[in-house]
Amino acid sequence: MPSWQDFQPFIVSGLALGGAYALSGVGIVVLYQATGVVYLAFGAVGAMGALIAWSLANAGTPGWAAWLVCVLFGGAVTLAYGMSFGPPLARRDPLVKAVATLGLTLVLFGVMDLLWTTNGGQSRAITLPTDGGGFTVGQVQVTWTQVIGLAAGIGIVVVTEVFLRHTKLGTAMRAMANDREITATLGVPVRRVEAAAWFGCGVIAGVAGLLLADLVALDATTLTFLVISSLAAALIARLRSIVVTFLAAIAIGLIHDLLTPIQSLTNYRDMTPFVLAAVALLVLPRDPVITRSREEI
Amino acid sequence: MKTREHAPRVGAGAKRGGGKTRARGAAALAAVIAVAAAAGCGSNSTSGSPSGSATTNKASTVTDTSQCGTKPGVKATGTRIPLGGIVTNQPGTSFTDIANMASAYFTCVNNNGGINGHPIKYYIETEQTNPAQVAADANKLVQTDHVVGIVGNTSIIECSVDHSYWEKLGYSIVDSGIAPECYSTPNSSAVNMGPRYSSDGAVQYALSKHVSKIVFDQSNVPGTGYIAAGPSALAAAAHVPIAQLTENVPISDASSVAIKEVDAAGPNGAVVLNFTPPEALVILQAAQKLGLENRVKLWGCSTPCNTDFLAHALGPKWNNKLFVNAELTPPDSTNSPAMNLYLAILKQYGKAVSGGVGSFSQMGFAEAEILIHALESVKGSYTVTSVNSAIKAVSDFSTGMLCQGWTYGNFPMHIPNNVDYTVTPDNGKMVTAQGCTPISAVDPQIAAYRKAAGTG
Repeated sequence: MPSWQDFQPFIVSGLALGGAYALSGVGIVVLYQATGVVYLAFGAVGAMGALIAWSLANAGTPGWAAWLVCVLFGGAVTLAYGMSFGPPLARRDPLVKAVATLGLTLVLFGVMDLLWTTNGGQSRAITLPTDGGGFTVGQVQVTWTQVIGLAAGIGIVVVTEVFLRHTKLGTAMRAMANDREITATLGVPVRRVEAAAWFGCGVIAGVAGLLLADLVALDATTLTFLVISSLAAALIARLRSIVVTFLAAIAIGLIHDLLTPIQSLTNYRDMTPFVLAAVALLVLPRDPVITRSREEI
Repeated sequence: MKTREHAPRVGAGAKRGGGKTRARGAAALAAVIAVAAAAGCGSNSTSGSPSGSATTNKASTVTDTSQCGTKPGVKATGTRIPLGGIVTNQPGTSFTDIANMASAYFTCVNNNGGINGHPIKYYIETEQTNPAQVAADANKLVQTDHVVGIVGNTSIIECSVDHSYWEKLGYSIVDSGIAPECYSTPNSSAVNMGPRYSSDGAVQYALSKHVSKIVFDQSNVPGTGYIAAGPSALAAAAHVPIAQLTENVPISDASSVAIKEVDAAGPNGAVVLNFTPPEALVILQAAQKLGLENRVKLWGCSTPCNTDFLAHALGPKWNNKLFVNAELTPPDSTNSPAMNLYLAILKQYGKAVSGGVGSFSQMGFAEAEILIHALESVKGSYTVTSVNSAIKAVSDFSTGMLCQGWTYGNFPMHIPNNVDYTVTPDNGKMVTAQGCTPISAVDPQIAAYRKAAGTG
């Protein structure tokens, strides 16, 4: 078993990764609360935004403009999907809605494979200015990007909590989460509220894509399927609590990275999100939000 | 499967009439932004990719493609000589550049006299790592397309699946090897060294710099034990400890992987990677972000890292710090007729070669060269027997892409490329760090081949 000192660098990397997972997880939960859709295309949208940013930066576009396009791309694609497919699927089973977003994932994945091929040894990377700086804790180097990863996770939780509790739009989203039809009959413009939720989720996907492209890899496959860790965090929180989603994401990131130096477990660390989500779903009491069926709707 | 021959409203919405128009308008606008961004970036992705394009343009003016054949400018019109190849092409793993480069060479030959007036018809089958599909591809090439030779095969599993079939039918395959059977069976001979021997080369270079420990890390995929055996033998012979690591791919925690490697190697040790370029890049970049690149004596990598894409993405911090085994002659420092012809063909006929100048297209060029050389030696008609006998008879043939002459021969195993270069990044490009150096015969497979070939 490695010593405590050996584990220290993995705590830093695990917290940063967990923060980025939390960002995605919170986006998934907020959208689910507002629309009833488990957005499986979260990773693919972020991946494509990041690849677009890479292309723009390579073509001479200033970095900040490329990153902005990445974030706006996430918002635009998600809004377009939500407005196009949200209404027809509104009364369908939650599983159908989720699978429909899987369709979007596959479309985006195919486009990325076509436009940003890895043929001939092509490899890409996004480097943020915050990668260069940082500080040292003991013997562990911490980059500003890692700090931002964790801070973004905390920030999104705080901002989302405040938004949902203290703004008119946030209150409308919470009302829709309780009962969409009654909320509509009370005069709440549900389409507009949904649009805001879709766009907001897309923006978060763009930010998460950019961060994860730097912290993990600028690779379509990797980023597309990183949503699994975020989804596991959201499931542990039963697609309901933003704070629990954050804590679960941090736990997933930490446990995943802390298993790295343990020789006997290192090759099993990718199972972390699945194991934690499975345990949570088996042990925690069943929740009406995620067991809501078509009959109930 | 693809063949190159053919290439060249639901009720819920009704209740929401109020915001419908505005919402649709917003959705349409969002879609336009998204599509415009994606379209713009698609075109940029090619032009923005770093490569040796400057070298390409300069060199290609030296040699023109009319040298492909014996009758410049005259199209071959005789009976077609059908050849085939099988390549992996799936999301994340595509070797089509190799076959596409071979195809470009064959087209050039066809436009300049062909093989004694006969044009080559090249059939490319793609597969997605499905054994049944790979077997069916081989069957189709033989029974439907009636190919007389197999060239350009580059597949994760093709050698394992098809080698018995080729042996039974008497085909002598010229390929780019990946699976062990590409090197250890009598009817497959590769122009590249493959992951094991390339890793040998990278470890051998690190050992020559007197490192105190080797950490060898590779993808956790089937065959890791076979690959690891070579570096282990080299390290054992040098009495240097070696730690063998594997990583699940795609890597989702590059920082922790880099920390683990550096911790295991120690300050006077070396970390040697055997990954695809994107995976190697994320590890190396994570190391750089955490300031780990100087925490070991040197970093090494097998051939896949030998791309200008990687050198460009890494930047100058890795100059003379990362040493990459190179199985093929570095294009930037070579001005030979073969290299210039390669660059000229790539420029004129290589539109389908998306990676441009690089190891993959060099392999395709070398394999096509070997086939053309073999076909030109055939007397009489081009049959499976005559063509494959000619292929098997290729001996000490200078491809211009390898350190040494390439030989097929009638051997139980084939590792004809066993002398290699080492390159290092130099401000965004890979440059030669060490010239041609034989892979150590401490690796028992190399020793066995040299003994069989009579070169040991």
